[in-house]
Amino acid sequence: MSASQTSTRPGRAKKSASRAVQRKIMDRLATGMSWAAMLIVVFVLGSIIWTLLKNGLPGLTASLFTKSMGAPGQDGGLANAIMGSILQTGLAILLGAPAGLLTGIYLAEYGSESALARAVRFVSDMLLSAPSILIGLFVYMVLVAPLGHFSGYAGSVALAILAMPIMVRTTEDMLRLVPLSMREAGIALGAPKWRVILFICVRAARGGIMTGVLLAIARVAGETAPLLFTSLGNSEWSLNMGRPMASLPVAIYQYAGSAYQDWMQQAWTGALLVTLGVLIINIVVRVGIHGGRT
Amino acid sequence: MDVSAKPPAQMDGQKHRRSGGFAGDPLFKMLVMATGIGVLLVLGAIIAVMSIGGFPAFKAFGPGFLVSAVWNPVSQHFGAAAPVFGTLASSALGLLIAVPLAFGTAFWLTALAPPVPAAIIGMAVQLLAAVPSIIFGMWGFFVLVPPMAHYVQPFARHMFGHIPGLSALVSGAPFGTGMLTAGLILAIMVMPSITAVMRDVFTSMPTVLRESAYGLGATRWEVMRQVVLPWSRQGVVGGIVLGMGRAMGETMAVTFVIGDSNHIGWSLFAPANTIASLIALEFPESPAGSLKLASLMALGAILMAISFVTLWCSRILLARGEAQAGKRS
Amino acid sequence: MNGDTMSSTMQNDASNLTADAVGETAHPLALQVRNLDFFYGKSRALHNISLDFPERSVTGMIGPSGCGKSTLLRVLNRMYDLYPGQKATGEVLFDGQNILAAGVDLNVLRSRIGMVFQKPTPFPMSIYDNIAFGIRLHERVSRSEMDGRVEDALRRVALWPEVKDRLQASATAMSGGQQQRLCIARTIATRPEVILLDEPTSALDPVSTARIEELLDELKTEFTIAIVTHNMQQAARCADQVAFFYLGELVEVDSTARMFTTPRESRTQDYITGRFG
Repeated sequence: MSASQTSTRPGRAKKSASRAVQRKIMDRLATGMSWAAMLIVVFVLGSIIWTLLKNGLPGLTASLFTKSMGAPGQDGGLANAIMGSILQTGLAILLGAPAGLLTGIYLAEYGSESALARAVRFVSDMLLSAPSILIGLFVYMVLVAPLGHFSGYAGSVALAILAMPIMVRTTEDMLRLVPLSMREAGIALGAPKWRVILFICVRAARGGIMTGVLLAIARVAGETAPLLFTSLGNSEWSLNMGRPMASLPVAIYQYAGSAYQDWMQQAWTGALLVTLGVLIINIVVRVGIHGGRT
Repeated sequence: MDVSAKPPAQMDGQKHRRSGGFAGDPLFKMLVMATGIGVLLVLGAIIAVMSIGGFPAFKAFGPGFLVSAVWNPVSQHFGAAAPVFGTLASSALGLLIAVPLAFGTAFWLTALAPPVPAAIIGMAVQLLAAVPSIIFGMWGFFVLVPPMAHYVQPFARHMFGHIPGLSALVSGAPFGTGMLTAGLILAIMVMPSITAVMRDVFTSMPTVLRESAYGLGATRWEVMRQVVLPWSRQGVVGGIVLGMGRAMGETMAVTFVIGDSNHIGWSLFAPANTIASLIALEFPESPAGSLKLASLMALGAILMAISFVTLWCSRILLARGEAQAGKRS
Repeated sequence: MNGDTMSSTMQNDASNLTADAVGETAHPLALQVRNLDFFYGKSRALHNISLDFPERSVTGMIGPSGCGKSTLLRVLNRMYDLYPGQKATGEVLFDGQNILAAGVDLNVLRSRIGMVFQKPTPFPMSIYDNIAFGIRLHERVSRSEMDGRVEDALRRVALWPEVKDRLQASATAMSGGQQQRLCIARTIATRPEVILLDEPTSALDPVSTARIEELLDELKTEFTIAIVTHNMQQAARCADQVAFFYLGELVEVDSTARMFTTPRESRTQDYITGRFG
């Protein structure tokens, strides 16, 4: 398009034409690279999902969900690991989500731009990206070493520390979207501020806050590193969170590094389960957000 | 008459109104504030525990801990240099690959794609970010490592093995694991978050700027290169630094493919270790109270410090980018 | 409102019955603003305002945007308290007491002086709960009494026939006019003495506007009403007395009839004949 424009000026036609060609080539090149980058990303995601399906599906049997982990060749399942993941993730959300919610409320409704609020916001963002293995190491030093044994509780605490900053961020963002007029209307009725926040603002933002909860679940359900030194893993069926507890990611880690055919199979199937769970939550959340916005 | 002197209590006397949880306000404020302070305390406690836990190692080896590349559990001699080098090198390598990938994808998403494909691919990028890191580790080990060992490394040695200077980069036995594989995995893992930041800063540019550039007859690439990029520079750099912070703390994926070796070397194919992978691998064999555990804690403190500074920088850059966007739009 | 309140108010305020407008309508005063100054930080938004609001009548407040009329409204229920840096000096006497003084229980004050906003502000809950929310704040009532109170409030804003079958439906799904009437119902359900309306119809269509204006006419038999409006016809239709504000000053206050026929100030004349603003 620019070529035809510039070439209409006769005096500069030759120089402009070569320059225009050069520009066009550059644009094509950048466009091509950009397409390539996009295709690589899609290819990698596709490859991961394909690999998981190909290796994981054959192991998807009923006994996987009914039997606990067993020795190689013993035809075990992952029931205890699945249950352990559910329990530890559940408790982590029960601990981390309210703490994150309250902190988010503080940042959005009280602290705003005060020095304390800026510090809290900054530290929360820091925790959001902090190496998760360090969280595990920290909880080991605080809850495992002094008590003398690994436990599901310790695992939950480590996961809660990871879940909390996600809740802080979403709660603050969502509360800031609640219009000021809604708060004023509550105040004008004579409602105290805490009631306006809890019963009007949080309610108005509940869709977004639920999104935060789901994202937090998706994030911590797949975490391995913080559990290695806290809940450790357990090959027996156990609902006692005061004892070492199995979890799906740790079981995958143990089995994937083994040389036994059936353990490998279970590692792949476990990986498939975790990934599908996490991805489905993410898809639901993001499609839900799009639907809500329009 | 002096009406204002009447005590306030009489005001509610007339209608017997409840004051509707008047006492709740300061209580609730205290509660949310205390939780907020709790967040500060958690980070403070993490830093304190790492420092205290690592203190015996700093004490035993002094400043030499930072520069010593020895990691010998038998002689009880530990140094941080090798895993620190591994952490920085693998992350740098990862970024070297991730940044063009993320930039290309963000360019595609914001300038080239029609809305519907952009939404779908944008979603795919976010899903990639959500995949648990252990899955990347398995995928890397079983899908990426074999071709690295059978094709990439022999090919690289064939091409560059005889060129002085470059031969060091490609030396080593063809395991398939090692620095480059770790870099590749890290690139894939941090690429989505860098893409997300770039996409946000690119789209936050006022449409009029973009349109006036197109109005001058600029191509899409020229608009990106000469208008959008300079405009969003700080945000882009902030996003890259954020990716760097994430890459350095990544554990499980790297543990699968780094090869577990405490050596400092320039070969892309030599096995190595990062702080995080070393902690994950060595911790189970470190009894409580041992010098080895203290050394691991000390490494944890170092990692904490490095990622803290990195994330700090990224936040400042991103905030500055945002402020600038606000000012200009 | 009960008789006690009224008689005590009359006694307390007998000596303050001074304004011309009040002499005419012979209503006791619900609110008296005395020498009020208001500041947004350092900038002064209201200059020495003195204005009386007679009981059970409608006071219209008009003036070009930025003249301070909404600011005054937000002083009357101390809404400005939400924002640090905003400050009022002077006196606002309500029921014999200066509500600007420290130590006033704001939650109780706001339950006695209700407010309706420019844009409808239904809470994100059911129609029923929107009304019940305000009542529950201040009173403990049984389930059956609450049902009665909700129905009563909705009847008074003529919303009952439209919503009686879907009380548990979300309030945010209603039309704009319905939402605004719901907000008025929510306000009167807490049984305030004064209702402040801040341009309540500016976001509504003409039909909904007419319904709300009719409603004001009924409500003034029971409540003291202060309405800010940018619509001169609305002030003429609804108000008993009108106050004209300009650049933070109260230029003139008079009965509606006199204000629109024989204003004393030339600035008022200019404004209501459309020469500025």
